[in-house]
Amino acid sequence: MNWRTYVVGWLVVLVCVGQTERSYAQSPCATTLTSQVLGQDNREPLTGAAVYVRELATGAVADTAGYIRLINICSGTYTLEYQFIGYEKKTIQVTVGTDSLVTLPPVLLKPDNQTLKEVVVTERRSEAQQLLQVQAALSGNSLDATRGQSLGESLKTLPGLYSIQTGPSISKPVIHGLYSNRIVTLNNGVRQEDQQWGTEHAPQIDPFLAARLTVIKGAASIRYGSDAIGGVILVEPKAMPTAPGVGGEVNLVGGTNGRQGTVSGLLEQAFGQKLTGLSWRLQGTLKRVGYTKTPTYYLENSSYRENDFSGTVNYTRRRGGVEVFFSQYNATVGLFTGAQVGSLADFYAAIARPEPLVQPGFSYALGRPYQEVQHNLLKVRAFLHSDRWGTLTATVAQQQNVRREYDFLSFSRITDPELYLKLTTETADLIWEHAPVKTAGGGNFSGSVGLTGLTQGNVRRYLFLIPNYRNYGAGLFAIERYARDRWTIEGGLRYDYRWLRAFFLDESTNRVTSQTHDWDNVTGSLGATYQFSPQLSLAANLSTAWRAPNVSDLYSDGLHQSAVAYERGNPNLNPEQAYNGNIVLTYTGKRLSADVNLYNNLINNYIYLKPDSVPIVRQRGAFPAYSYDQVRATFRGLDATIRYNLTSRLSFTSKTSLLFAYDQTNRDYLVYIPPNRTDNGLRYALTADPETSLRRISGAYISANVLYVARQNRAPAVTQRQENGQLIFTGDFAPPPPAYTLLGAEAGFSWRAGKQLINVILSGSNLLNQVYRDYLDRFRYFADAPGRNIMLKIKVPLSFGQHT
Amino acid sequence: MQPLKKAVVFMLPVAVLMTACNRDEENPTPTDDNERITTATLSLTNTAAPTEVVTATIDGIGNAQPNVTNATLNLKVNTTYNGAITLLDKSKTPNVNQTDEIREEANEHLFVYTYTPATSSPASLTVTATDRDTNPSPGPYPIGITTSVRTGTASTGNLNVVLRHQPNTKNGTATPGSSDLDVTFPVVIR
Repeated sequence: MNWRTYVVGWLVVLVCVGQTERSYAQSPCATTLTSQVLGQDNREPLTGAAVYVRELATGAVADTAGYIRLINICSGTYTLEYQFIGYEKKTIQVTVGTDSLVTLPPVLLKPDNQTLKEVVVTERRSEAQQLLQVQAALSGNSLDATRGQSLGESLKTLPGLYSIQTGPSISKPVIHGLYSNRIVTLNNGVRQEDQQWGTEHAPQIDPFLAARLTVIKGAASIRYGSDAIGGVILVEPKAMPTAPGVGGEVNLVGGTNGRQGTVSGLLEQAFGQKLTGLSWRLQGTLKRVGYTKTPTYYLENSSYRENDFSGTVNYTRRRGGVEVFFSQYNATVGLFTGAQVGSLADFYAAIARPEPLVQPGFSYALGRPYQEVQHNLLKVRAFLHSDRWGTLTATVAQQQNVRREYDFLSFSRITDPELYLKLTTETADLIWEHAPVKTAGGGNFSGSVGLTGLTQGNVRRYLFLIPNYRNYGAGLFAIERYARDRWTIEGGLRYDYRWLRAFFLDESTNRVTSQTHDWDNVTGSLGATYQFSPQLSLAANLSTAWRAPNVSDLYSDGLHQSAVAYERGNPNLNPEQAYNGNIVLTYTGKRLSADVNLYNNLINNYIYLKPDSVPIVRQRGAFPAYSYDQVRATFRGLDATIRYNLTSRLSFTSKTSLLFAYDQTNRDYLVYIPPNRTDNGLRYALTADPETSLRRISGAYISANVLYVARQNRAPAVTQRQENGQLIFTGDFAPPPPAYTLLGAEAGFSWRAGKQLINVILSGSNLLNQVYRDYLDRFRYFADAPGRNIMLKIKVPLSFGQHT
Repeated sequence: MQPLKKAVVFMLPVAVLMTACNRDEENPTPTDDNERITTATLSLTNTAAPTEVVTATIDGIGNAQPNVTNATLNLKVNTTYNGAITLLDKSKTPNVNQTDEIREEANEHLFVYTYTPATSSPASLTVTATDRDTNPSPGPYPIGITTSVRTGTASTGNLNVVLRHQPNTKNGTATPGSSDLDVTFPVVIR
């Protein structure tokens, strides 16, 4: 059983760290609890089985003899959940007194022929696990509840996350007020490189690829390199299957608004016997959305189409393994026609109209203006593991991103796009994680050293917006972590080098000229966690991060039709430098759990698009002009989550995010900063224990939430004046929209039809059909936000003769 | 040092990838606008003397500094002219006559002519479209490719020509839609 020992290898490393972190010595809490986990079928010890203590939110993993040890347990009653891949979950109640050692009778787990349990996802080693930075993750049911939405929309349910939008179909994640190139997205372990600078360039990742979405809030440059000033989004697929057999999953999503339909499926297989360690997976998604409806009218041409697929082949043995992954993402995104203008006068007329001029009926039609994007990713990852040396992982990937933007054509019938950008990126990472080192005093060192490289080339055609360029980047980092008693300390250091050459064509002489920039930077971070009690912990982190100006910041010069902006770069920009500090207090009690995160992010040379007061005149008229500028900016805020169990079935959840951003250079507010908001909800479980079932239905719940988004009062003042018969705006084009309150609700259950399990979630957003506009929506100048939407999500896990 | 050796082995494909990338980016292509209008020509024929034709051309529209050396309309007082506008894209070879394309989509286009007399000059130029589209009732509406231009007393001013694109919203007024062209011809009437 080689795969099993491999899994254990990983888990043991994790648990060693996790246990020392949580250990503490106090007299009323000195009980050690041991328990043996055996398979019911053959009474063999289940090496690597996990136990989770619900009340303490801690856990442990069984050793080679199947023994689990939980140390320093206080007296009280606890619920222990036993899980193991391929076995059914078992929950038992334990009462601990003042004895120093409690040995439980052996726990027998029943083989599960149905599905791989979620333990695969939650217990696997996440990319982010070694970092002390503030994290939030979506997985399991909470991720399922967001199915059918874009990546940006899905993440909005996490505190501190927001989204900057261009209409209903394009949504970009915003972490603590920062977005675009300030966030690194890791798609299956590879740095996603698409045209991420534009506000209407959404991340090109199929959200159905992910079994877990993790967000690292705050600067994370050490591990992820330049650009991670705002944070990191990790899109992690389900672990490859290890138990022999063929399995799969089908997801169906239907939504009333836009009459959307999504089908996503995956099929996977792990081989046994002679081919132990070999597995494959195929996955694909189809999505169709028609015109979105605001409470009173349809948004013309707001249709959306997406076709994605991916495939993985994995071979893993104890001493090493290799994985090949390929994915392709294709999306055609219609842009709301009511936001298309030909001149400044038209733009102001469109803003002034309370409703769009054209209000057609429903349609799935998709015409100009639209965007067509394709993203291909090929990744090869290999690792070598030895107990003495640790683990060496190498990842090589190639990505190709093609973006075509088709503007609104008025008279020609040309089928060419207006903007064509092809970005090809090659990345390579080599990471060595040394084997954990125990010190004499009971401490534990763990850490990693890494080398990363990147090269990319961009080719443009048709209209000019950004030039062709070639880019090289290299980084070297080391992160070391020390855990002892109640303390965990982590420090990291990184050196980065970036080189950029942009190519321009002088059309009158037909000569190519180029401009070259290079930058380098050293960043560092230091974090510590202190565990006051099993319930209460405090973590603090100080880090620096940087971002080299990218090609759009430096050399943009053209009309961004879909953003209705003439953008001009500034070749003299300096790299952004961020100094980030944050403190997180976490309490996990029996009834109350809460975490509060306070952060302060100072960014020197913060680059942003500044609206110019003088419009630019082009063939089609005058356009609002923006140029790239840099200032010293601060982002401070608070994210708080409180969960309180009113009864065993009824729980209350409150999520609040406050953010105060300020431009220190001009002593003014910054434009496009997420407003403060709070989301409060109640959830009622129809059965007290999620495992007990009402006949064939289990895990049934209903929930309702109220989201309140305040008006953004901390925005630059909007002024307008007449100049040469032209109306000129400064600051913004319209004041921030008023505060709004949205009501949402959700119900879900699992239904066992024969041996087949079906998970059903019914969710509704904007149930009162509230008319509102969001400050971070580019289309708020022209139209209202979407109205009521009821979505039905069905997940059917499949298994064909899975053996244990 | 086995890990070091392994590291070298791992770095090999990286080196291969790095050298294998193509260099398309080093040959930028010229900018190309699908619907560029580089040249707008107004040609006015005196109805009383058909051999008398006044033309004015603005070249290099879309450039930072369009060529306006031949842009002035020198007109006679109290005269009626038959006007015609021609829009060309000279950036393509052969040149594209964009007026033909607009004529084919007349049901969603409208030329709007606005005369603004210089300060203290009396208003003395009226432009009336003489062509009609095929929009259903309450249409048809004017297009403005051909016009009737009437001058009054001697004055100077500017004639602004805007091409409005009004898909499914054309109603005979300038309000709906967006602008595809916005140019101004200086006018001298004497």
